[in-house]
Amino acid sequence: MSARAGWIAVAVAAAAVPLVTANTYYLYLAMTIGIFVVVAAGLNVLAGLTGQISLGHAGLYAIGAYTAALAATRLGLGFWTALPLAIAVTAVIGAAVALAALRLSGPYLAMVTIAFGIIVEGALVEWVALTGGPGGIFDIPKPAVGGAPLALGRYYWLVAAAAALALVLTRNLARSAWGRALVAVKSSELAAASLGLSAYRVRTAAFTVSAAFAGAGGALFAFLNGYLSPDSFTLQTSILFLLIVLFGGLGTLAGPLVGAAALVLLPEVVRQFVEYRLILYGSLLLLSVYFLPRGVVGALARPRAARPADSGTGVPSLTQDAGDSPPTAGQAGASSAVALALTGVTKAFGGVRAVAGVTLAVRGGTVHSLIGPNGAGKTTLVNLVSGFDVPDGGTIALFDEGIAGRGPAAIARRGVVRTFQTPQLFEELSVLDNVRVGAAGHRLGWLAAALAGFGGDSPATQARARAALDAVGLGDWAATSAADLPFGHRRRLEIARALAAGARVLLLDEPAAGLAPAEVEALDALLSRLRAGGLTVVLVEHHVELVMAISDRVTVLDEGRVIAEGPPAAVQRDPAVVAAYLGTSA
Amino acid sequence: MYGLVALGYHVTWATSRTLNFSQGHVVMVGAVVAYAVHVAAGWPLVIALGVTVIASAAFGLVVERVAVRPFFRTGSPVWLLSTIALGIIVENVAMLTFGKDARAFPSTLALKPVFVLGAGVYPQELLLPVVGVALMGATQLFYHRTFYGRQLKAVAWDSEAAGLMGIDVPRAVAVAYALSAVLAGVAGVLLAPLLNVSPTMGTLIGLKAFAVAIIGGLGSAAGIVVAGFLYGLVEALVAGYVSTGAREIVGFAVVIAMLVVRPWGLGGARPARRV
Repeated sequence: MSARAGWIAVAVAAAAVPLVTANTYYLYLAMTIGIFVVVAAGLNVLAGLTGQISLGHAGLYAIGAYTAALAATRLGLGFWTALPLAIAVTAVIGAAVALAALRLSGPYLAMVTIAFGIIVEGALVEWVALTGGPGGIFDIPKPAVGGAPLALGRYYWLVAAAAALALVLTRNLARSAWGRALVAVKSSELAAASLGLSAYRVRTAAFTVSAAFAGAGGALFAFLNGYLSPDSFTLQTSILFLLIVLFGGLGTLAGPLVGAAALVLLPEVVRQFVEYRLILYGSLLLLSVYFLPRGVVGALARPRAARPADSGTGVPSLTQDAGDSPPTAGQAGASSAVALALTGVTKAFGGVRAVAGVTLAVRGGTVHSLIGPNGAGKTTLVNLVSGFDVPDGGTIALFDEGIAGRGPAAIARRGVVRTFQTPQLFEELSVLDNVRVGAAGHRLGWLAAALAGFGGDSPATQARARAALDAVGLGDWAATSAADLPFGHRRRLEIARALAAGARVLLLDEPAAGLAPAEVEALDALLSRLRAGGLTVVLVEHHVELVMAISDRVTVLDEGRVIAEGPPAAVQRDPAVVAAYLGTSA
Repeated sequence: MYGLVALGYHVTWATSRTLNFSQGHVVMVGAVVAYAVHVAAGWPLVIALGVTVIASAAFGLVVERVAVRPFFRTGSPVWLLSTIALGIIVENVAMLTFGKDARAFPSTLALKPVFVLGAGVYPQELLLPVVGVALMGATQLFYHRTFYGRQLKAVAWDSEAAGLMGIDVPRAVAVAYALSAVLAGVAGVLLAPLLNVSPTMGTLIGLKAFAVAIIGGLGSAAGIVVAGFLYGLVEALVAGYVSTGAREIVGFAVVIAMLVVRPWGLGGARPARRV
């Protein structure tokens, strides 16, 4: 049964429910499933795409429910005004929580979300004047269409439509540039930052979307039930939401639907064992965790055929000339001007002066190498220039604009893009999608457009991604999963991603480490082509032959200071350099 | 009193960068076991304490084995969910065997209050901080003076290097979990006469202790002890001057504020970023 047929079957079954039964209780159960699908779909965006776990979604759900209920009972608003109001209020509160919480991760994030949930629950009980306290709110009017209140059977259609809409919206989001950015941030926050993508901003957006869904679910619940009490919004409820997503399958489209149906219906089936309900939940949670990340949906789906490289040749493109001049934003004319200027840059870690007053000028359109013994401060310098560390003193200018002290994402957006000693790829994405994350950078478009299904890349972005991939000779590997890429190609992919991100200055941190001789040659050729295209390259490298062959200038660092600088041949003969490398006391 | 439970979070966090999210349930298990042995079966308190220590240590080992080891260092905080799952199961088991109702745990130290500075307190309440500090001291001694404790410290410092030096890292983590559970179990016995014993007593205690551990800094035993006293003080003040209901709200609001301003806690060090 194909996925499409499956969805049609589900839709038909869902539509048939009110035709088959008029039993109020069954309808109520079916609607509970629908509401949980809405909430879980939102939570799936957060937990599935960004990998952040929230244990406070009951709090957001409660805010949606109480906002809708209060709007209906106190302000006399109808369903159609109360629902968007509830969504908006919850989204705003969710954004506020996210701004506070999402610099954290793991147990810290869990703590904030739990604390938020408990504060909301406490407020529901204590703030009697607003929420009615432990007694809750009664007599929430039924939603009306055209002045006539909806019967339960009709309200079912509304809830079912909302659940379907929730799934469609999250599917659109997952397929958009936003969706890729969310996964990228989960995979490697460092790499995302190096491409100009702020993890904080992306996650805050995800949490806000997720909150809006929870708010919608809460509002639907309020109008379904007709009364609200704090009992419905405890930590248990938060855990239940999370369990639905995990059990169904984290990050899968059908997961929230399967999870919600199973967890609403299962306790009904085994109702005579109500005493054991917690054991059931606990065991299901434990099982889901063991079978993470794909849950029931993942277990049922056929294992995906590993996509082989399209190319028939075993190791293509190692020496293949990619032909076209690569896409770089380093325009001609930038050359000969100073692209990157460091003046008196210092950085100390504790008592160790890793960088002790480095002054350096990198000319545009050149390959400028940094060499030096281990611990000379080369990588620290790369970290300072790319914003991953903040210098203690000195200035760093990119084409005369000071960039020292800015964050890595901000610096990347200005055109300084780095690679890492250990390649940081977005393992869960395909090779092409890795590059597309770079090409899109922080330009993700409107979140609402992504939800509505208009979140694709612009043709220009797509073209840039393709061109970057071709430039490094990985064009044939576009569909391969990044996790399956051979080691030498992983470095190329990192470079392609940096090119797509619009690098004007490319910082390469030991790109030849671990490469075979043939691959080093290919790297040499690649860097020459990039330089010919106008790109400025700063190369930190131990591979002396490569450095001497490719560099226009070489700077030698030792113990955080510049001990020599000049053309490769001159540097090679410098007595201070020889002393530093061979340990002769100078 | 939260400090003692919170210290349990610290012990496992320092060793393995994981922690038992159902630590509160261990407190409950401690109280329930002590109740069963001491009150229901009528055995002396000393024996009850011994049985509790053994039972909680065993529970700690089970948690480590079932919920933590399979996910150790996978990078994702999945252990967080699996330990919660175990807690839920244990709570249900306790309900089935012990019953849902809260029961009083009689203690000669909680019969009549004594007056200290005009405020009436039960001797039991005075006993808590005394035993708490003593146990914390013992934990520190264990860490600094015994071979096993030093092994744990070594693992906490750098598990990879410790493994290379021939230390059995998984066993060290298991010991840390057992130790952590014993601290919580003993706290359960101490708390039992003050609160009523019930299967649901653990959740809130566990969360508050976690809050304390975060405020104090998961990596800092001293910070946690200080935070434990401060948290208790703030709670008592809010409960006394505002309302008991506001207690939780204020307490957890403080935690969120703390995490926003100083996520590494009172006593912790700001973590260095590694690139």
